[in-house]
Amino acid sequence: MSSLFGNILKGWTDYTKGIEEGGHHKYEHMWGMVIDLDKCTGCNACSVACYAENNIATVGEEKYKARQSMQWLRVERYFDEPDIDPGAIDDENAMQERGASFLPMMCQQCNAATCEPVCPVAATYHTPDGLNAQIYNRCIGSRYCANNCPYRLRVFNFYSYTDEDGAWPEPMKQQLNPDITVREKGVMEKCTFCIQRIRAAKDKAKMENRKVKDDEVKTACQQTCPTQAIMFGDLLNSESKVTQAWERQQVKLGKYKQDRENPKLRGYRVFEELNTDPSVLYLERVREE
Amino acid sequence: MSEAALKHLSETQTKDIDENIAWAKINQDVLRSMENPRRGYWIAMAISVALFSVMIYAEVYQYMYGMGAALLNTSHMWDLYISTFVFWIGMSHSGTLLSAILHLVHADWRKPIYRFAEAMTTFSLMTAGIFPVIHLGRVWNFYWVMPYMTDRGIWPNFRSPLIWDAFAITTYLTSSVLFLYIGMIPDLAICRDNTKGWRKKLYTWLSLGWHGDDRQWRNFRITYLMIACFLIPLAVSVHSIVSMDFAMAIMPGWHVTTFPPYFVAGALYSGCAAIITLFILLRYFFKFEEYMTFPILDKVCKLTFVIAMVWTYLNLVEFASVWYGHDIPSKEVLLAKAFGPYAPFFWGMIAFGMFLPFTLLSKWARRNMKFLFVVSVLLNVGMWLERWMIVTPTLSLGYHPWGWNIMWPGWVEWAMVGGSFGWFGMLFLIFVKVFPCVSMYEVKEMVFHRKRTIYEDVDEMMVLHKGAPTAAEAGSTNNGGS
Amino acid sequence: MANHRKQNHRIFGLFADFEQAFEVIAGIRRYEVPGITVDDVRIKSPIEHPEIEDILGERPTNIPKFAFVGGLFGLVFGFFFLAGAQANFTVQPQGGKPVITIPSNLVLAYEMLILFGVLATLAGFIIGARLMRKRGPFYNHAVSLDQIGIVVERIDDTQRQQVRDLFARHRVIDVFEETV
Repeated sequence: MSSLFGNILKGWTDYTKGIEEGGHHKYEHMWGMVIDLDKCTGCNACSVACYAENNIATVGEEKYKARQSMQWLRVERYFDEPDIDPGAIDDENAMQERGASFLPMMCQQCNAATCEPVCPVAATYHTPDGLNAQIYNRCIGSRYCANNCPYRLRVFNFYSYTDEDGAWPEPMKQQLNPDITVREKGVMEKCTFCIQRIRAAKDKAKMENRKVKDDEVKTACQQTCPTQAIMFGDLLNSESKVTQAWERQQVKLGKYKQDRENPKLRGYRVFEELNTDPSVLYLERVREE
Repeated sequence: MSEAALKHLSETQTKDIDENIAWAKINQDVLRSMENPRRGYWIAMAISVALFSVMIYAEVYQYMYGMGAALLNTSHMWDLYISTFVFWIGMSHSGTLLSAILHLVHADWRKPIYRFAEAMTTFSLMTAGIFPVIHLGRVWNFYWVMPYMTDRGIWPNFRSPLIWDAFAITTYLTSSVLFLYIGMIPDLAICRDNTKGWRKKLYTWLSLGWHGDDRQWRNFRITYLMIACFLIPLAVSVHSIVSMDFAMAIMPGWHVTTFPPYFVAGALYSGCAAIITLFILLRYFFKFEEYMTFPILDKVCKLTFVIAMVWTYLNLVEFASVWYGHDIPSKEVLLAKAFGPYAPFFWGMIAFGMFLPFTLLSKWARRNMKFLFVVSVLLNVGMWLERWMIVTPTLSLGYHPWGWNIMWPGWVEWAMVGGSFGWFGMLFLIFVKVFPCVSMYEVKEMVFHRKRTIYEDVDEMMVLHKGAPTAAEAGSTNNGGS
Repeated sequence: MANHRKQNHRIFGLFADFEQAFEVIAGIRRYEVPGITVDDVRIKSPIEHPEIEDILGERPTNIPKFAFVGGLFGLVFGFFFLAGAQANFTVQPQGGKPVITIPSNLVLAYEMLILFGVLATLAGFIIGARLMRKRGPFYNHAVSLDQIGIVVERIDDTQRQQVRDLFARHRVIDVFEETV
């Protein structure tokens, strides 16, 4: 009970030190991603891989249309030309030559996440790895975090999918990934940057007494992408590919407005002006001028 | 009372209360309202229980199948549960306004009506408290929002406005119940003296041995004043905190700094309209024409109008600040509210909330019970629509285009909303039969002080004019004998 | 004659006219009955009477002190309890927000101030008004109806008749006596 009051000053100094030293001084890793939209073909393989890796339930056509899907990574289609007749879009002209852009969106693991402070039971927080973690066991399902996510990337278990008429009727339960739980109804979930793979790599590195190597962790979406549009790595590791990509694009963490010398650089972060400080960098599609 | 008598009364009743009312009659009239109920009461009770049962059925269905039964989706994570929650918390502010604020400014016309208003506050809070629990995905873990020591060192997240809600509503409910109870103690003593059987036992226990001693009255007066002084900033803070569920989020249309005063004004508005509704009902069913008089109703209507204008102003301020600002998503949300698929409900809110209160300016309206009943119910409908229009259009048109989506509530949500009215009705109906819904001792005080004032005025006049002996010396009693 | 006269009588008078009852108290204050002071007088009434507080004399209450102590405790305890809980829950830092967040702690400490202030006021009321004890002497139903009662205590034999006379001069309706 005495420690209830004992740590107050310590917590306060931790905070002030964090602010002075850029807020990231305590992190061992800072997992970030770069997605090259020029290479993305919109094939949705990443989305399917995510379903397989993370025990995500398929909800069926009815519920998908009602927007109750459980998708963690969705590939969004946007069309540049505003005068395309929506009825004229089909598989043939929904291609990049006609102006469709594909934007794979997953949880941006914001460093100043808007979802974290509003959970009433502290079921979502920021790990020392720079990830926004969701604790399924603690979630009571108030869904305030989902309302506060500007990207609308958090999904909620509106139903229970573990019954026989759910998402994995026997023998499909054999397909579930044992490294990760199957969530019950009433909890929030979202992309975790395949934290189970990160954890496995970190454990392996610790056993071998070394640091995690650059290409050692591959997320499921990165592994599956046929054009290698997704790059994943540690932003605190100055030799990793993602760090070099971020530096080339002159994008820095901790800022809501980047000042860049070369305005033609392709890199941008979605909604960074809302001061969410996301960890995912998108490289804009090269457009014909 | 016949129609003609009622009309006559509405024209001739000019004083808030008749000073010559016999105190014994006050006791008698109020105690008579607590007698065994007749058919109308049982019908009202049956309707309330039926609505509440529908709510229970809907909740069991939702518990078994998951929140998807409420037709929520990835964009619309909150819907009618949260808007009805805010509505009920809002309705609860009237009791505090009437009991505490008007007490501090010595407006004694509140005395015959504040008891049922205070009861309405307590029961609104009990109704509102249902919703944060049933809207959770894992309802059975709702107690995790309470700050208790666990051996794993886990605490709730005090940064979250939902936790502030939990603290604020607990405090407000506790304080309101205590305020209602303490204010009732002298009345419970009167009930104790005039009843038999289980009622006498109940009132003896509840009145804590009150015997009207001057020591007790002195402490009582100061306690009441102290709790009123605590309750007023509490009431303002509670609805401000509820508004921060929205204001502390970044969604366009929610992240508005005027939300705390806007919500508090809306709460007072909603509560005053509910007071008019209950005033008319209680006056009619319990024949309280001499206590809940036309002049008092007149004053309540004027108060409602003033608060309606404050709410209107804050609403227009919100529209104007969005319109003149550079926040494009917020502007789009406002346009979607006005011209999108939710437009009928938005304009309904404007019509009932902004334009309907102008009918309260007409003297005819303020004296016509049927019209006022309909108007007060519509004002509350307008305020409920306002809460719905705050929650849903923003969620249907957030920052990210992929999340744009229109959603309409299903039978489960409507059942819960209707059922909450049933629950409130049940609690209120039980209250009016077990406890006095008009404060007997306060009405006696009102009569006593008004009579005294008249005699003082008469004294002054007579001394000024002729140096005649005062009315008191002339030997009349100034309270009705038995 | 012993100096210690037995002051063991109580007289209770019921009045219908409140003004007359107040005149009785004013009379006692003016020592119309020698040996009886206004401190021996208690009033039993169906309503409260702030207007005769000065005639009745100095009778302080402790409730504002209870309210202040309760409120202060709520504020201090609330803030430090929350800060302590947050400081110890360090697995839960949140990006962009400090560990001990002052704005949220102030809001919650404010609510705790009011909660404990109200509870302390209630405690002060029950203690100060001496509720929950056996009912005092001379409880009469008429007091809950519309009559005011005046209790004069600590009277001895010689003063009894004088008090009765004082009551009779001001139109008392009923007089009860009791020997303690």
